[in-house]
Formats: sequence, structure tokens, C-alpha cells
Amino acid sequence: MSAPALAPPAPPDQAQARAETRRERKRRERLEERDATIPVELYGLRQGTVTLLTACCVLFAAFTLVPIVWMIINSTKTQANIFSSFGFWFARPFEFFHTFANLFRDVDGDGTYARWFYNTVLYSVVSGVGATVLAALGGYGFARFEFRGARLLFAVVIAGLLVPITLVVVPLYLVYAKVHLINSIWGMIMPSMVTPINLYLMRTFVELSIPRELLDAARIDGASEARIFFRVALPLMVPGLMTVLLLSIAATWNNYILPLIIFSTNNLFPATVGMGLWLQHAGNSGDTNLFPLLVMGGLVTIIPMIALFAILQRYWRGGLLLGSAAN
Amino acid sequence: MSAISLEKLTKVYSTGVRALDGLDLDVGDGEFVVLVGPSGCGKTTALRMVAGLETISGGTVRFGDRVVNDISPRQRDVAMVFQNYALYPHLSVAENIGFALTNKKIPSAERQRRVRLAAEILGLSDLLNRKPAHLSGGQRQRVAMGRAIVREPSVFLMDEPLSNLDAKLRVQMRSEVLRVHKAIGAATLYVTHDQVEAMTMGDRVAVLHGGVLQQYGTPRELYGRPANLFVAKFIGSPEMNLFEASVSGDELVLGSQRLTLGPAETVLAPYRGRKVIAGVRPEDLELGGGAGGAALGADVRVVEMLGSELHVFFAIDAPAAAASALAATAGEAEAGLLTGQTLGGVARLDPRSAVRSGQRVTFRVDPGRLHFFDPDTGAAVR
Ligand SMILES: Nc1ncnc2c1ncn2[C@@H]1O[C@H](COP(=O)(O)OP(=O)(O)O)[C@@H](O)[C@H]1O
Ligand SMILES: [Mg+2]
Repeated sequence: MSAPALAPPAPPDQAQARAETRRERKRRERLEERDATIPVELYGLRQGTVTLLTACCVLFAAFTLVPIVWMIINSTKTQANIFSSFGFWFARPFEFFHTFANLFRDVDGDGTYARWFYNTVLYSVVSGVGATVLAALGGYGFARFEFRGARLLFAVVIAGLLVPITLVVVPLYLVYAKVHLINSIWGMIMPSMVTPINLYLMRTFVELSIPRELLDAARIDGASEARIFFRVALPLMVPGLMTVLLLSIAATWNNYILPLIIFSTNNLFPATVGMGLWLQHAGNSGDTNLFPLLVMGGLVTIIPMIALFAILQRYWRGGLLLGSAAN
Repeated sequence: MSAISLEKLTKVYSTGVRALDGLDLDVGDGEFVVLVGPSGCGKTTALRMVAGLETISGGTVRFGDRVVNDISPRQRDVAMVFQNYALYPHLSVAENIGFALTNKKIPSAERQRRVRLAAEILGLSDLLNRKPAHLSGGQRQRVAMGRAIVREPSVFLMDEPLSNLDAKLRVQMRSEVLRVHKAIGAATLYVTHDQVEAMTMGDRVAVLHGGVLQQYGTPRELYGRPANLFVAKFIGSPEMNLFEASVSGDELVLGSQRLTLGPAETVLAPYRGRKVIAGVRPEDLELGGGAGGAALGADVRVVEMLGSELHVFFAIDAPAAAASALAATAGEAEAGLLTGQTLGGVARLDPRSAVRSGQRVTFRVDPGRLHFFDPDTGAAVR
């Protein structure tokens, strides 16, 4: 007889899992999501209102996207064309690859964009991961443990949220000078790891998504607090952690003022400060061809953020707790 | 020596709420004890204190002769089923059930054997690889049970484990839970707000109200000899009929009617010439006066046909038990409710009885089946 008849029948569950490919699952999830959203026709709004609101959204989207479109178009132009040709259409010669190659060269003695980009990645990833770890621990602690002074401590955190770094630049500089953090990468990374907003986000996330009963069940099951955190809480915190990771990487990625005051060595600069330096020089002496580099540098700087957002997006899907409780 | 004994167990939350007040309770080895009471009466609080999840404001919790007040839940080694199951959503059924064994560092082979055994007892063998999200309510409930029994616990706690199931499944699961209990033989403390569940499942039942223990005994004792008005009203459905009456010589005066007391007379001696609350269960009212016992005339208001029995709602001219008397044990809000509906009473009759609304009927009452309560304290008069 044929082989399939001899093989033991697969348990129904596994068979089902194997039958559905990744693509099919994606498709199913997309359709399920569509079924779960209320179609706009059922909102009880008049058609005119819907059109008007849609128009507003489109306008707003255009407003935010226009600079990016401009950047993409002008990254292909020479300096002369950037100023003389129509901003929203291409012009010959096509200089995209030439300009891109120049990002790796030291064009005017300030240093290379490639180095600054590397620094940006280094600072952002290390402090992003650090911020996420701290937010996970702190948020979980504040959300699920009662301890003396918890309210006061959390109030201090919230207060920290309200103080912009620009306001503390001078004291920060003076303190850094004393503890030798000027021109040190840790001077950049350590403060970037402390992000009150992320701690606040994480606390709220834990409160909403990890029921006390679940942790109590784990305690009854004889798990240590560390094990409860790593084995029960942490896996459920992943969507929140991904949000925090993205936000804190982006914050460091775009940070300008902190690296500006603590770094005086060009090869420690992140992209923001390096390009700031270029901009200064480009303004002073018009002929160094720095404008195409600025446009290209800007483009290269934002692309990783967009990519990161796209990658982490799938973690935003809700429903992680599904099935824990009775209904 | 009991497997679990609670002595003057008290909980005052930091909000000032006295959720539990001096609870004394003991659960014997292998015994199934049900803690029952209306929502908010402190059942969950009591259970969490036994589990070690809540600090103890006063009193002691003993397992055997060991005081466990200051022992963490991890070291108490109790198993517990939570009201909302609290399954680990990211773990499979097998991992959920085996979680406690992994924590105890039980070798993998032994762990798998025990998980399979527990799954078999609960009929979960085919679902071991599923995540909780892909289970029905009843299956989730079983996983929650499996997580508890796999540990072979000596103390087993359950907090309203069936309250999230639909009515039919709930009835099925009652016997299921009892079957599992017989199989593992652990001392069990089972919490529910459902008196039917309590009566059908418990070896003994503790009725809790407002954080205070009202009565602790077998279902038969609770039903047959309720210790106070609260228990009398809470246990049994339809509820016991309660009327305000007075004692005159060897007769009970119910409005314009007089019932000859017979043997019940002696316990009522102290109440001669005073008010007393008289109670009678709906099934202790029988149609047709005269043939022994006292007769009670009533006007039929509504007749409900249930198929197996007939509920006959009637009115008599005796006042319903006064609010103040019920308030003594039943709490004010409920007292209001009770008097509202006790303008008459209800009888549970043979479905073939020919009774129509608007009819005047005579019920026969065996005076020995009457319950009496003190109108001031609500305590049973015996
Ligand atoms: N953590 C808490 N803090 C303050 N009060 C509480 C807390 N938990 C329960 N209570 C109060 O204690 C009383 C008993 O609650 P609970 O034990 O949950 O009742 P049950 O389980 O019988 O419904 C209620 O009045 C409730 O509001
Ligand atoms: Mg409860």
C-alpha cells in the first residue's frame, strides 16, 4: 500500500499548523483584523463628514511627507541644481551614487559621515537596549509591587518627564567635567538610558496587560520572583518593550543637544552633530559642495528609523493575553 | 488533627474594610469543605490568606499542626484554582500544567509522566500542545485544575472555579470536580457564591456573610436547622417563607389565623406573649387542611409550572418578617429586599395539583417543620 496509509496519523493540531503556510497565516490575520474593525459606514456619520475628515487626514499626511519626498528627489542632484532646478522634480546630471560615495569621504576636513552614522547606531542601540531593560524592571516594579516610598519615587519620575534636557545643559556639563564624562561615549549613553517616559509607559502597560492573578498563580506554583519576572511577566511585556525600544532608540538617534555639549572630538560625533557642523561650513563657504551631502546624509539618517518601525510593527498586534482568563 | 485549621482569622485592608472577622474553620484530611456567601462577603480574601497571597491581620492559619502565617506561598505548597483561571497565555497546555513541576526542578521524564497523567484524568490529552487562547471555557477550566492536581497537593484551594461556565457545563463540572477530588484526596477548600453548588458538593459547608461565619455544618444541618435568619434565607430555593408571628399560649398567631403548635410549644415558652419570626420551607406546605397538623388559609396569587413541580405564590394577612429582624443578620440592603418579597409566601407542590391563581386554599403544616427565630437577634430559637 502507499506510504501515507502506513504512517501514524498526525495529531489534528499539528496537521493543521503544518497545512497553513506563513503567507496564509498572514493573510488570515489580515482578514481577521479587517473583520474586527467597524466599517466607517456604521459609525453613523454622514458621507460629507467622512469625506471632509478624510481630506483633512490626506492634507496632514502630505504636509508631513513633503520634506521626505523633497529629500529623495534632491539627493540625486548637484549642488547647483538643488538651488536652481524645480524642487519637486529630477534634474540632470544624476548624482545619487556619487554623493552617496562621498558620505564615506572626509570632504572638508570635518570627518566622514560614515563615522558619525556608526556612532549614531552605537549610541542609539546601546542606550535603547539599556533604556528598555531599565524600563522593564522599573515599570514592572512600580506596577506590581507595593513598597515604602513608591508613590514619592514615581512622582519624582514623572517630574523628570517634565524637565527638558535643554534646561539642564549647563549643570550637566559641569557635572560631566568633574566626573570625566566629557568626550566619553558613556557620557552620551548613560543619560540616554534613563527615560522617564518609557518607565511610565511600561508601568501602564504592565498594569493593563499582566493581571495580578497571573503572578499570584505563578507564586502558588512555587516560582521565585526572578523566575516569575523572566518566565511569566517578560514574555507578556514584549509588545510594550518593543514600543519602548523603538522610542528610546529614536530619541537617542535624533538627539542633538546632548552630544553637542559633551563631544568636542569630531570622530565621536553622531550624525546629527556632524551634519550640523557641515551645515555651518556650507553656510560659510558656498563652494564645498556640502549641500548634496547634507541632503543625502539626512536621507540615510531617517531610513533606518523607518525600517525599524516597519520591523517592530508586528509586535504591536494585541491579543497576547488571549486565553489566560475565563472569557 | 485537621489538614487546615483557621483560628480567629481576620483581615482588615488598608482601606479600613474589615473583609474577614474572626473566622474559625477546620478542614479534615480528604474533606471537601465549601465556603459560601454572597459576593463581597470575604470568601476570596479568606482563601488568599490560606494560600499566603494576602497578609494576615489577625488569627492563625495552620496546616496540620504547623502555623504557616509567615510562610510565603511558594513554601506553603498549596494548589489553587483561580476564578479567572489565570493560565499562562504564552505557554502550551502541557507547559501550563507542568509549570509547578519545572519550578521544583523535577526531572523532565517524571514531569512529563505526571503532566500526561493529570491530562488524562481531566480529558486534556489531545490538547497538550495548544495555547490557552485556542481552548473553550470548559477546557481552560480543566487546565486550571490540571495545573493544581499535577502537584499532588495536600491542600487544594478553589475560588469559584465554575462561575464562568454556562449553566449546563457548570452542573457537569460539579461532579467532575468531585471525581478529581476523590482521585487525589486532598483537603479542599472550595469557594462559591452559589448555594446549590455548596449544597451539592460540600462534605461540610461554611456560610459566610459580611466577613462573619454564620454556620458551619453538613448541607443537611444547614438546610434542616439553619442557625439564623441569614442562613435560613440563603440556603434553599425557593427561599424559606418567613412571617412575623406572636405566641399565645400553645398557639402561633399569624395575622388573623391561629396555628396549634403541638411539640414546638416548649422551645417557644420564653416567647409567650411576644413576637417571634416563624419560617416554613416551601415544600413543607401541603394542600388540604384537616388531616393532622395545623391549617393555614391563603390566597393564591401566581402559579408557576416548572414541569417537575408547581410553585404557588400566595398571600396571607400576616405581616412579613420585619426589616429590623432581618437586618440583624442579613444586612440592611438585603433586609429591604427580603421584606419586599415576603408579603406572602411560596409553596412547592405536586405538579398535578389543581391550583389556580385567585383561588383560596388551605395548606397543611406539620408544626414540627416550623423554624423559629428571635426577631431581635435573628438567631434560631431551639
Ligand atoms: N485588595 C483589597 N483592598 C481593599 N479592599 C478589598 C480588597 N480586596 C477585597 N476587598 C474588600 O473586601 C471585601 C471582601 O472581598 P472578597 O474577599 O473579594 O469577597 P468575595 O470573594 O466573597 O466576593 C469586599 O468588601 C471588598 O471590597
Ligand atoms: Mg471572590
